[in-house]
Amino acid sequence: MYKIFLAFIFLFTGSLHAMDNPHDHGSHKHNNMTGVDGSKTVLDQKIYNEFIADLGTSQVVIIDVNGMVCDFCARGIEKTFYDDKLVKKVLVSLEKGKVLVAYDNAKKVDFGEIKNIFLSNGQSATGMILKKIT
Amino acid sequence: MGILRLLLLSSLLITTAVVESRPISWSGGSTLMYKTNSMISSYYYHFSPSYQYSIGAEYINDRYFNEQYINIRSTYLLDRKNTKSSQRNLYLTGAVSTKKSEDFYYGIHGDWETRRYFSSFSAINKNTVSKDFSEYEMQLGVAPYLGDYNELHTWVMIKTKKDTLNNEWDTYPFMKLFKGDFLLELGTKNSHWDLHFMKRF
Repeated sequence: MYKIFLAFIFLFTGSLHAMDNPHDHGSHKHNNMTGVDGSKTVLDQKIYNEFIADLGTSQVVIIDVNGMVCDFCARGIEKTFYDDKLVKKVLVSLEKGKVLVAYDNAKKVDFGEIKNIFLSNGQSATGMILKKIT
Repeated sequence: MGILRLLLLSSLLITTAVVESRPISWSGGSTLMYKTNSMISSYYYHFSPSYQYSIGAEYINDRYFNEQYINIRSTYLLDRKNTKSSQRNLYLTGAVSTKKSEDFYYGIHGDWETRRYFSSFSAINKNTVSKDFSEYEMQLGVAPYLGDYNELHTWVMIKTKKDTLNNEWDTYPFMKLFKGDFLLELGTKNSHWDLHFMKRF
């Protein structure tokens, strides 16, 4: 049975390699926007419209996140963002691998700060876009 | 029942307290756990100063041997790989016991998961006053549906484990449910219920 354990570890590490290069087909209804770092961010228009529906004048940041596969592991994201008094609203989408954050206009949005928030929670922010809501 | 058999039984039950999913919280996060089965109950609190390690204390009430003691436990994140659809982790874990200075354990624990599939393994070396031995454990799980954030998440899991004392694999199913900051694992083994409750804050 010790061999079974070794075989499992072998399969485990093999699956890691296979999953490290995922292929995302995206969705049919989306809004293509170029991130601040040049990456492409795909977001369902419906999600975005619902998020900004009750917002006043704000800045909305749409963040691409890697490693956000588990609700229980993502709890700290919301908590950490809400520690910032200039954050008005946070939305986590496990399905899309994205987090939307609405800031007060007084906030100077910094991608480095956002990356650190995700790092401290165990995920990786790989890109973001910033939209002004007027 | 011979003392060796009692030790074997005890070691199997203690195994359930060694490795759990999500051994480290977010930076500054705390986790409270309660675990009970037919023979022991334990309360475990750990704090994560950073996303890379956690440290905590576990109070164990061993009803079978009628003894209580505390394990000081720590887990360190050796490696993490995040992709759009998966996360994998490799941890170093260890503990010392207040029972005897010779009682301690150390080992590695790895997991890989997507929103649909979960797998993990662990290999733990335990030193006790009477015996030194190793424990191996594997878990596989599948989510029958994909819930989004703040919804109820359900996992159907299977766990298999063995130690070098009896050299037999012990395999049993369990369910994992979580919603918000709460997680519940419920399993049955040898006609007894195993319950594991976790809250993060």
